[in-house]
Amino acid sequence: MSKFLRSFVFVTIAFSFLLAACGTVATPAATTAPAMTQASGATAIPASTATPTPLAPGSVTLNGSGSTFQAPAESEYAFAFPLVDPAVAINYQGTGSGAGKKAIIDGTVDFAGTDAILTADETTSGKDLQMYPFLAGATVMTYNIPELDPKGPALILDGNTLVGIYNATITKWNDPAIAALNPQIASKLPAKPITVAHRSDGSGTTAIFTAALTSFSTAWTAGSGTTINWPADKAGNGVGGNGNQGVTVAVQNTPESIGYVEYAYAVSNKLPFAQMVNKAGQTVSASPDSTKAAMADFANAFTPQLTATIVNGSGAGSWPIAGYTYIIIHQTSMTDCVKASKLVEYINWILTSPVATNRAQALGYVPMPSAVQQLALAKLAQVTCNSQPVMTH
Amino acid sequence: MKKISVPRENHWLARFQRSTHHGDVLWSGLIILASLLVLALVIAIGWMLWQQSADARVKLGWGFILPTSNATWDPLSGVFQSWAFIYSTLMTSLLAILLAVPISVGIAIFLAELCPPSLRLPLNWMIELLAAIPSVVYGLWGIFVFLPKVVVPIGEGLAILGQVPVLNSFFTGPIPLSGSSRLAAAMILTIMIIPTIAAITRDVLLAIPNSQREAAMGLGSTRWEMIWQVLLPYGLSGMLGAIILGLGRALGETMAVTMVIGNSLEATNSLLKPGSTMASLLANQFKEAVSQLHTDAMIEIGLTLFVITLILNLIARFLVWQVARRTPQEARA
Repeated sequence: MSKFLRSFVFVTIAFSFLLAACGTVATPAATTAPAMTQASGATAIPASTATPTPLAPGSVTLNGSGSTFQAPAESEYAFAFPLVDPAVAINYQGTGSGAGKKAIIDGTVDFAGTDAILTADETTSGKDLQMYPFLAGATVMTYNIPELDPKGPALILDGNTLVGIYNATITKWNDPAIAALNPQIASKLPAKPITVAHRSDGSGTTAIFTAALTSFSTAWTAGSGTTINWPADKAGNGVGGNGNQGVTVAVQNTPESIGYVEYAYAVSNKLPFAQMVNKAGQTVSASPDSTKAAMADFANAFTPQLTATIVNGSGAGSWPIAGYTYIIIHQTSMTDCVKASKLVEYINWILTSPVATNRAQALGYVPMPSAVQQLALAKLAQVTCNSQPVMTH
Repeated sequence: MKKISVPRENHWLARFQRSTHHGDVLWSGLIILASLLVLALVIAIGWMLWQQSADARVKLGWGFILPTSNATWDPLSGVFQSWAFIYSTLMTSLLAILLAVPISVGIAIFLAELCPPSLRLPLNWMIELLAAIPSVVYGLWGIFVFLPKVVVPIGEGLAILGQVPVLNSFFTGPIPLSGSSRLAAAMILTIMIIPTIAAITRDVLLAIPNSQREAAMGLGSTRWEMIWQVLLPYGLSGMLGAIILGLGRALGETMAVTMVIGNSLEATNSLLKPGSTMASLLANQFKEAVSQLHTDAMIEIGLTLFVITLILNLIARFLVWQVARRTPQEARA
């Protein structure tokens, strides 16, 4: 009997090995076809420079990763761009701005998305990295004060009170500084402690928000960046949430709380958000228009890297907490010229196509003013591959 | 049975079979290979963590992990002290074990010894179902139901202990209105590890030979005396193994903890305040680290968590070994 069992086991094992062997034989056969089209795509390079032969659909994959803020836009583009150029497939992973920057420096992606500007070290180690702003977004303050009428006037804050709240120097909603800004609802503001919600994950939204706080007041000493050490946490009234969702949940579940989230997220989730008194002393609401006004304030403030901070603008209608989101590519060191030309074509399409703009606007992003768009297009014309300019038209 | 034809003495197949002890050598080789793979994995992970955190270890020194009264974690200015996270990790996990063990053992005793057969199957199913729920679901349920309905009232009650001299630093209130706190993390972890510990303990109890029960009954013990004085000591080493598994899950749990602990970098001892465990900090900050030193420091946190898990496992193994060495005599006595 045990002999029978042993032989049974042996046969089973042998059979499974056989199956495994079949599996390994079958796999290369299945992958041969795409591999061959890849190869033909690659060999088509010299020919295509002379007479453009159409590439097989989906034969060029542009890999990108980075900012989660621009990920919804990128996935819209990934759907829409192949309708323009079927040869291209876009693959974007929302891994976070920091991870995106690391990936483009390490050369593991063709382009990176980021909301945070490259640091000096990163620019040096990346050699020829170029940033292209292509969309902007506003950051808004969502709050939960049960005493206020949700249909009544929105809470109004200014830079100094916001810094005070996040520094935990303003700790109650009925603080004179807040009451003075809100004459209509001052009597309803409760004498209850404010809970301050912030992002716990490193985030471009945090970078924009803290850049604004730094610009608002010298009292903000915690600095600005994707991850910071919050003074409110030290004071014991801070709470961190992972992602826009986490902050929103923290605010909704905590009476008398305030937190910052992306404008697009606040709108799509119908969250109440505060108005702000801007640098010009005007009370403004977050909207595509007020974000555009902020971009216009800083249209001439671009560095050669094409980066600009657009917080605390001086225009009368400018929303004070906003920022650009960028695509990063290698400007001169790309060697696969088919890929390089498709990448430039893709960025050109994002910057100029009404289809791309409309899709982004529908998601709550704000397209750039044409002055900035021209700056980006001029830079894009300078992209080279093997010392040859990539853009032909 | 019909005799199977055996190859002749000097046939190559026969020689091959003899030289490999009829497959024994091959078989044991395969088994050794599989077990070496585990060793290789542990070494590879440990080596990677050690290697990648080299810069951080040199720059940050021992201050990185040593207990510090006011540990600071400030990525922008490059100050990294992880004591607050080590503390939160140990505190939440140990509290979770402390709360989970009595409940789980109670469940296991009921299922193995006292449960009417009609209830046994549905209860077993539910225990196994609970063990299979993804942690993100525990987190969501925690945020929306468990924290406001259960943790906040308990936290408000415990805040009274903040007046007691010795315990005050552990129970400094008030608990945030959302309930996000170390206490919330510990309680969610408790719920998550109960099914693991209960299911294994139940299996351990069921595996105890009936002769043990009969002998105890025969000597005139009551059912409770049999359970407490015979079954539990007999199954102690297996139950410790179950507790190790639960502890492992509690130490490494990331998603659910991140959702309920409040993710504050602040260093306080209070259970009622938001904090961060090592795993939740990694989940939050690793992918968007602001500098190379920040990344390296995160990897050093990974290394620290790895070492802590290793040490706790070794201690638990040692306990199991001690118990296993002692048990047979006691069970016989």
